[in-house]
Amino acid sequence: MKFVDEFRDAELGRAVAGEILSLVEPGRHYKLMEVCGGHTHSIYKYGIDDLLPANVELVHGPGCPVCVIPMGRVDDGIAVAHQEGVIFTCFGDMMRVPGSNGSLLDAKAAGADIRMVYSPLDALRIAKQNPDREVVFFAIGFETTAPSTALTLKRARAEHQTNFSVMCSHVTIVPPVRALLESPDLRLDGFIGPGHVSTVVGGRPFEFIPADYGRPVVIAGFEPLDILQAIAMILRQLAEDRCEVENQYKRVVPYEGNLRALEVMAEVFELRPHFEWRGLGFISHSGLKLSDAYADLDAEVRFSVPGVRVADPKACQCGEVLKGVIKPWECKVFGTACTPERPIGTCMVSSEGACAAYYNFGRFARERQVV
Amino acid sequence: MTVVAVDLDRGLALCAGGDGARSTVETALVEPVQPGEVLLVHAGTALARLLYPTEVPAA
Repeated sequence: MKFVDEFRDAELGRAVAGEILSLVEPGRHYKLMEVCGGHTHSIYKYGIDDLLPANVELVHGPGCPVCVIPMGRVDDGIAVAHQEGVIFTCFGDMMRVPGSNGSLLDAKAAGADIRMVYSPLDALRIAKQNPDREVVFFAIGFETTAPSTALTLKRARAEHQTNFSVMCSHVTIVPPVRALLESPDLRLDGFIGPGHVSTVVGGRPFEFIPADYGRPVVIAGFEPLDILQAIAMILRQLAEDRCEVENQYKRVVPYEGNLRALEVMAEVFELRPHFEWRGLGFISHSGLKLSDAYADLDAEVRFSVPGVRVADPKACQCGEVLKGVIKPWECKVFGTACTPERPIGTCMVSSEGACAAYYNFGRFARERQVV
Repeated sequence: MTVVAVDLDRGLALCAGGDGARSTVETALVEPVQPGEVLLVHAGTALARLLYPTEVPAA
């Protein structure tokens, strides 16, 4: 398949792995963070870490949209879903994220009208088909998903679809990355930049990483060769004592991003003063809410939302996994009490979650062979 | 996804995935699009038009 097969060539992969080996200093340990959950999924699906020298460690970042949703936010969604006349819609992964008293899937089993959708446009279609019901879309995700929600809200406004509203839990990627860089318990040498977020925001928002923290960033695609090449580009920057934002994913990501998407997001959303992230706590200006111009389509204005903060279960170490402090298999409940079938933590829910990726691809090995 | 047909009036396109499955895609962020073009689609919205992959590493 065009744009895919070229980037799964095993011979080329071995060649890039050899290049990576030639770029590392034997006595130095390299910690590289892949920010995006899509990268985490690809790394374990294709066994990319097995192709790396033992002193190149990949650390999983906070870029899985489902993983960063706190339990209290799930409870808020369930509370709205239980209100009279509501059809509550959300992406499939979100239905399985545990709240303090079960998930949206549990609430559906208990009688709430909760439906899985593939896009906000699907939710709007349900609103058109059910004019006597209130249809709420639970919007989650980073800048990759936010434009879709924004366009749907504009379409709802243009089509006078007044029984449609959005419970906005969109987040932005830069504030948590900055928070991680400020974290004293994590030393990172470079970042594999999020490819799809960068399609929207471009490369400039990441320039603070080399400028303020002296760490290289390479925006990368999601095929095995994309990720291997991005790792080689980061290591080459380190070897040449360079530090900048580079774009490996040029076939999709323009450096200036998608200006139309940024415009529509600026029209429909505004930054919240602070937003709670699972495991990372409250981060300033990291979450989006609907702007005043779209407040009439804001589910949090239209419905009563508890907004209660809920602590994670004590056994769950998603926070440490999301910060890259521990590996998934180091969590006390990984693969035992917490599995994809019965997740305790969010990282075990989505295919982009680090724990689910480890679990689903059977990558339990705690020691790697040196290539 | 590959563009199969375009509905200019509504800003939508019928697109086919790699497995042949078809779905309606919002194209407002990448217009104009034409049948045969390959789009990066996320949550039902096209975010980018794919360019020829020039960055395949040389063996």
